[in-house]
Amino acid sequence: MIKINNVSMRFNLGIEKNFSLKLFFINLFKHKNKESKKEFWALKDINLEVNKGEVVGFVGCNGAGKSTLLKVVAGVMKPTKGTVERYGNICPMIELGAGFDMDLTAKENIYLNGAILGYSKDFINQKMDEIIEFSELKDFINVPVKNFSSGMVTRLAFSIATIVEPEILIVDEVLSVGDIAFKQKSEKKMKNMISKGTTVLFVSHDITQIRELCNTVVWLENGSIKMVGDPNDICDKYEEQMLRQ
Amino acid sequence: MYIKNICLSLKKYRFLLNQLISRDFKVKYKRSFLGVLWSLLYPLLTMTVMALVFSNIFKFSTPGVNYLVYLLTGLVMFNYFSEASNLAMSSVVANFSLINKIYIPKYIFPISKCLFVGINFLLTLIPLYLIIFITGTPLNIYHLLLPYAFICLFVFTMGVGLILSAISVFLRDMFYIYGIIMTLWMYITPIMYDISMISQELQVYFKLNPLYHYIDFARTIILYNKIPSPFAFAVCAGTAIITLIIGVLVFKKNQDKFIYYI
Repeated sequence: MIKINNVSMRFNLGIEKNFSLKLFFINLFKHKNKESKKEFWALKDINLEVNKGEVVGFVGCNGAGKSTLLKVVAGVMKPTKGTVERYGNICPMIELGAGFDMDLTAKENIYLNGAILGYSKDFINQKMDEIIEFSELKDFINVPVKNFSSGMVTRLAFSIATIVEPEILIVDEVLSVGDIAFKQKSEKKMKNMISKGTTVLFVSHDITQIRELCNTVVWLENGSIKMVGDPNDICDKYEEQMLRQ
Repeated sequence: MYIKNICLSLKKYRFLLNQLISRDFKVKYKRSFLGVLWSLLYPLLTMTVMALVFSNIFKFSTPGVNYLVYLLTGLVMFNYFSEASNLAMSSVVANFSLINKIYIPKYIFPISKCLFVGINFLLTLIPLYLIIFITGTPLNIYHLLLPYAFICLFVFTMGVGLILSAISVFLRDMFYIYGIIMTLWMYITPIMYDISMISQELQVYFKLNPLYHYIDFARTIILYNKIPSPFAFAVCAGTAIITLIIGVLVFKKNQDKFIYYI
């Protein structure tokens, strides 16, 4: 179960990457730098309750705040205002393969990435064969990951991330990877997890997928919730507006 | 309460810490012909170079004790601090892609670097003791107290590493500034010379440097066969713990803001 209470998220656009000693001194002499006060609210006062076993899809155009919301729920970002309550272990699939070290072999990366996701050593040892089998990378298991194609990397990452049976699964646009065969396989795996009662938060631009998998859809626009409700209902309205633009 | 939380999550993330350290080892020695042997050879050879330069060309010496052992004791400890604090500083920035995607306690990165260099440090003790034997420097029972100095050095380095890793997120210039600070720090720490070579008035300021105390602690044992004074024990532990506390506070206060500076 997840409870999102009045969550707002502010980004300072002004500070950006180019904060340096030079700018620091410039700002010191310029009394108040107006530029650096440029604020951007990526999320505005979001309230949402997700029950156990629910599959919630998020739609909205680019920059609507979908990924930010998922990151806040995953605990990667702390909201500027409001709180997030989550009950159960979370498996975040926000960007697959983020924890890979390209110099290490696939097998070494399974241990490393597993550790990052919070698995224990015994658990990984126990599931090693299953991970290798699902990723279909048996022949490449001792090859450094830098020699992999990007499809192979995501296949490996997906296999590691989904080996647990998490209570909450956070999926951000990761199902559209790999070849058709693997895509079907990973969709099947996700449906399997859903049927076992996993709560899923799901971001996708593939409306067909949203209609098929979700039982609630949230439409985000400019950081606020525009509509919540039945997937077909919301998806129809969303598609209608997107086409009109 | 906070300490208890750290201990709990350290237990939970012990395997990750383990993996991060072994990753550093694997990556460091991958494709090198001699592999882990370099951990022993590298310090041994650099020490030989330093020893040749300072004892033969500059004719440095320390009265009453072997200069080579004197130099290397200081050097081994200072190198640990220098390398570990440098790696810890860049550890958070280097792992941004990860921090941005998955929740992991962020302090795990500086800690893993301090531990990784710490293991390398323990390996450099082998060549150090080799030279102690070769030069005929007598051993004594007080050597068992050396881990005390090493632990203090480790705790101090971790404190500095936490501070630096937090600052460098907001101020990338820190990487360059710290390089200059390290050069200065190396010369104001009595590594190649003895503190008695400095005028009395200046000595007071040189003794404000915690590294001097850790190195002096080790030298008192290894070279002068004496047990360090109670004051030395207190100064070592005191400076180390205070630095660590400051480091933890600075890091904790800023860690939620890291994500905005990616």
